Amino acid sequence: MGRFFGACEDAGTDTTTSAGEACIIQSIINAADAELDGISINTLPTDWGNYYDQIKAAYAGGTPPDVHVMHRHRIPEFAGLGALAEISGELEAAGIDASDWSPAALDAVSYNGGIYGVPMDFHANLWHVNMDIMEAAGLVENGAPVLPTSPAEMMEHAAMVKEATGQDYLAADFAQFPIGVRLVLALMWQQNANIFTDDGTATINTEAGKNAVEAITQLFDAGYANPQLNYADSQQAFLNGEAAVLVNGTWVVDFYSAEAAKEEVALDNYYVADFPTLFETGATWADSHMWAIPASLEGAEREAALKVLAFINDHNIDWARTGHMSVRQSVVDSEAYQSLPHRDEYTGTAAIARDTPPSERYGAIQDVLNRELQAIWLTDKPVEAALQDAEFEVQDLLDR
Amino acid sequence: MRTRTSRQMTQTQAAYTLLLPFLAVYALFLIYPFFRGVWISLHDWNLLAVAFNPDAKEFVGLRNYERVMWGRNIEWSLFAAPFWQVLGLIGLALAVLLRLGDKLSRFNAIALGVASLLLIVIPGFHAGEGGRWFDRRFWPTVGNTLVFVGLAVPGVTISALLLAAAVNRETRAMSMLRTLFFLSQVLSVTVVTLIWQIMFSPRQGLIANITQAVGGTPINWLTDQQFAMAAIVIATIWWSLGIAMILFLAGLQDISKDLYEAAALDNATGARAFWYITLPNLKRTITVVVILQIILHFQVFGQSHLMTQGGPNDSTQVLVRYIYQTGFRDSELGRASAMAVFLFVIMGCFSIIQFVVGREIPE
Repeated sequence: MGRFFGACEDAGTDTTTSAGEACIIQSIINAADAELDGISINTLPTDWGNYYDQIKAAYAGGTPPDVHVMHRHRIPEFAGLGALAEISGELEAAGIDASDWSPAALDAVSYNGGIYGVPMDFHANLWHVNMDIMEAAGLVENGAPVLPTSPAEMMEHAAMVKEATGQDYLAADFAQFPIGVRLVLALMWQQNANIFTDDGTATINTEAGKNAVEAITQLFDAGYANPQLNYADSQQAFLNGEAAVLVNGTWVVDFYSAEAAKEEVALDNYYVADFPTLFETGATWADSHMWAIPASLEGAEREAALKVLAFINDHNIDWARTGHMSVRQSVVDSEAYQSLPHRDEYTGTAAIARDTPPSERYGAIQDVLNRELQAIWLTDKPVEAALQDAEFEVQDLLDR
Repeated sequence: MRTRTSRQMTQTQAAYTLLLPFLAVYALFLIYPFFRGVWISLHDWNLLAVAFNPDAKEFVGLRNYERVMWGRNIEWSLFAAPFWQVLGLIGLALAVLLRLGDKLSRFNAIALGVASLLLIVIPGFHAGEGGRWFDRRFWPTVGNTLVFVGLAVPGVTISALLLAAAVNRETRAMSMLRTLFFLSQVLSVTVVTLIWQIMFSPRQGLIANITQAVGGTPINWLTDQQFAMAAIVIATIWWSLGIAMILFLAGLQDISKDLYEAAALDNATGARAFWYITLPNLKRTITVVVILQIILHFQVFGQSHLMTQGGPNDSTQVLVRYIYQTGFRDSELGRASAMAVFLFVIMGCFSIIQFVVGREIPE
């Protein structure tokens, strides 16, 4: 089995008490290893950043793992080449009820009419909020944070936070991991724009692109946010009570809840909010994790792999504890799911989840955007020049 | 006589027999992959597509090289990059003048001349009116790699030399220090980069804590364009100091004590002895260390990949990382191989220089 999410030692086999992505998934895997007869699972956890390189090399070398996790956005690339097994005819026999998946989840694992995996979650960018800072700035109403509805209002709120507490308004990884890219993408989608069209024309150096970037750079220019923090540092800044809002994914909700409960962590009053709509239409970056098996897997091994997929599918509620949104209607409707901490605070996210149009070059396109956006906020490259360069390069990638 | 030759091998035969295992391994794991790499570089070759369908490749001749290194409407002019080109011109003039005045050996004059000529020619290329490079990242990446090599090699060489001179004494403390300084060398690149990521962290890092203690604001080493390259160079120096230091120590122990005693009589001790005796006697070791380091550091990958991910804004993107990304992330094996061949040519040049220099010095 190949997966990312990080390593967890001593995850045990109790899937109901483990915490954090790495340990929850490993406890589910350990439980499958223990409970499924005749199936033993070796896990190959890989660092997030190198995961797809490794999986590709494994496929190219003819030795892919029997079961592996992947993102929805990689399906065009892998299924398009015939690497993944089409399993729509085998789900029922394996005990997986595909009709329980929400329509969006089914869509996430579908490609050209076939089903190429078992969906595990929807994950999306959220606003993680420090309520004490918001309270001090007068930005709390009826127990919920008051979030901006326009870029101008965001600046007003940021000024109020700075004035009242001296802290930054917003933190996120703008420097390494592409959280900044996902922010800008969301703000472009909110203007009903996108970085390229379905027929493959890059549309980045546009009014919408400029608006989206400047909504964020205005915070940097005024000193209300620091573009130089990477993932670990921005998270630390939020936990230290140095920023009112942290933009990060659903995957850290349970972790931040646990941290907020600790005495020594400055963040005490934690709240999760849907990504606010700063322009016309609600939108936030989202993706799906899913489990796939290689097309080359046959016979008893394929059956065993499907059993593992079914086991993971059965434990969807455990995985949802991370903060991810469930893909199964029966889980979403369940009492256990609805009573998860903070769950009621970001119910709007599922409806505004978005991603770029499918492309075989998703990774390279993200990288171009990440580089050019970093150039804007870390090295003062003029916005227009950076967007133009990004457009050229993305067009090159789309044309290749 | 006849029975003898049939039973016993001649010297040549014996030599070939003994060489055979080496040659077989060398051919299988170095020669064959190399030519295969060149072969791949002449194709449009998608890593995954070809794995599933061997016919999915297409012969494209030199197009990968053109796509990587060239562009539309590329022009050459003097003063396109005035700083480097003027520097090159000065170097060229110096080489000619010093050679005419017999202040420079023929070899050094040619070396300086060639280096200067390259400085004049290479930066002169630029995209003309309405043109652009097909791959805007390739040459800046080559430039970053050169900057890295240009900083890391002198950094390692000078610090290793000074350390070696300092710990070259027969006391227990010194032998312990020697081991300590060498210890970092045995760590893998993942461990080294992990240590230094923590060191450089603006929140928990040792460096940040010291800066704060003396009243400064901590630097975001790894995400600040001015410091990111310096950060990976510092980590690299710390990491690869050991071998260079050991080589220098060996060189130092070869220098006869008599020389220092004689010098001491002439009142040359300490820094002066180091300058007039140690350095000239270590010339050969220094050359070896420098060339080895150059070849080693052109292949830098882990430090940039793990510490900065090539950022911010590609300022620490290096050639091997670009090859890796092109080959594995983008699956474009043909293009990646073309870049790898380019890297091979550069390193080949330095190997030739090493070969030539190795012969030059004994004169």
